[in-house]
Amino acid sequence: MAAPCRKMASRSYSQLLCCFSRTAVGSGACRRFSVTPIDRATPRASTAADRATSPWSLMAAVCLQRLPVITADCSPIEQRFKQMLQQMELEKSMLSDHELRLMEDAERMSRRQADDYDSDEDLGDQEIMMTQDLEDTWEQRLKNFQPAPRVRADVDEDLTSVQRCLTDSLVLLAEQQVGAEKLWLLPQAAWQEGETLRRTAERALDSMTAAGVRATFLGNAPCGVYKYKLPKAARTESSVGVKVFFFKAILVDGTPGSAPTAPLLWLKKSELQKYLKPAYMMNVGRFILNL
Amino acid sequence: MNHIFRKLQVTFPQQASILNQSLCRATPSIQHPVWCTAAMNERQYRDMPTHGIGRWRHLLLKQAPKKKKDRNQQKELVSATDTAYGTLNVTVSGYDMTVVEHYSQYIHNFCNRLNIKVADSYALPTKSTEVLLMQEQGNKTYVDAVLKTHQRVIQLSSLNASLCPVFMDVILKNQPEGVQLSVQEHTEADYQARFKARPELEGLVAQINQ
Repeated sequence: MAAPCRKMASRSYSQLLCCFSRTAVGSGACRRFSVTPIDRATPRASTAADRATSPWSLMAAVCLQRLPVITADCSPIEQRFKQMLQQMELEKSMLSDHELRLMEDAERMSRRQADDYDSDEDLGDQEIMMTQDLEDTWEQRLKNFQPAPRVRADVDEDLTSVQRCLTDSLVLLAEQQVGAEKLWLLPQAAWQEGETLRRTAERALDSMTAAGVRATFLGNAPCGVYKYKLPKAARTESSVGVKVFFFKAILVDGTPGSAPTAPLLWLKKSELQKYLKPAYMMNVGRFILNL
Repeated sequence: MNHIFRKLQVTFPQQASILNQSLCRATPSIQHPVWCTAAMNERQYRDMPTHGIGRWRHLLLKQAPKKKKDRNQQKELVSATDTAYGTLNVTVSGYDMTVVEHYSQYIHNFCNRLNIKVADSYALPTKSTEVLLMQEQGNKTYVDAVLKTHQRVIQLSSLNASLCPVFMDVILKNQPEGVQLSVQEHTEADYQARFKARPELEGLVAQINQ
């Protein structure tokens, strides 16, 4: 792979400042995320002598992932274990300030109710709010709080929604015209002279989805490659086949927008098999983590 | 004169040998215990051919003695090259200390497994945040809760550019709830921020510079 290797060496290099945070499900379905490139070195221009003519044409594709928003449910064994550990911790723990105050108040009440109660003994200022009342107000506030439902069956069925399956990570697929037929692929674009492969992948993402999708690429190096030969009829001297390089990216913000240029799907790794061709799936499945 | 001395000398050994023999025969029982043979000050096994057969410390290279100051010296900042990032700081922060510590331990073990060199792994001071709520009746605010933010930093000396997407993907997918992750370049300012300010020293320096 002569040409691609050289391309990688002369690619522009940038430092990343990434901030990832996992907060409660608020407005969006995605994590708060910020990227600040510190230093972007100018790419060394490749001279004509460097570029050897190769019969393989290059393309770059982007593997855009939406990370899970809420934790997955525990399996029965995990639940039982969790309960047992919580019970053990509770039994080993010390009393908190609040519980100590509750006990003191109960003791004081019982002393007051006793027959030989001397009001002079009751030193210290009278608390306006008894600790038990505090606890009751907190309980009331908790009852008034309605958390959002964790699983919404109707949204899960909708394959185009980015809010589906909040416990799993999803991958974006787009339907593209390759040769004579329409195939479901990771969004890809052809490499042009003078740009880096990562830039090509960014262009692929921008062209497939409307503006408003913000993604952070995880690095300048590709995570996988797929090469295929063109059918015998289409093969010529200068083009035998195509090599596609995959770049990983994380969805930062927002839905793909109201009017994407091509039909898009958000799929879990287990569902990818139904839409991708077997050889492509084997290659792509190697770098998509099922965590 | 000489011949007289020679005679005297001749007689002495004879007398000495007689004395020795008598001594030998007279004290056989004292000679049997091992610690009384020959002279008391000499250890006999130093002459054994296998003496010091188990010695190995003399084969090691001489190490300079470690001083306590060396432990907290600043490690050199690795600068970025074309194929690798330089010194990076992976900061894990959150309110729950056990979760934050376990996650930072996970990242450290993961780096060891991928043979990424971990230069340093330290904790930044805990920051306390007081949450004050307005009372429903009245204008006074009262303390509702005290939240403590814990931070743990793992410093990677260099990260290969081809390994970076894999590394980032895995730690993002395993990020627990309530924990913020941040990956930044390590700078001199980050290192200096860990030290306490010394007001007297700064005052004296200002006086000198005036």
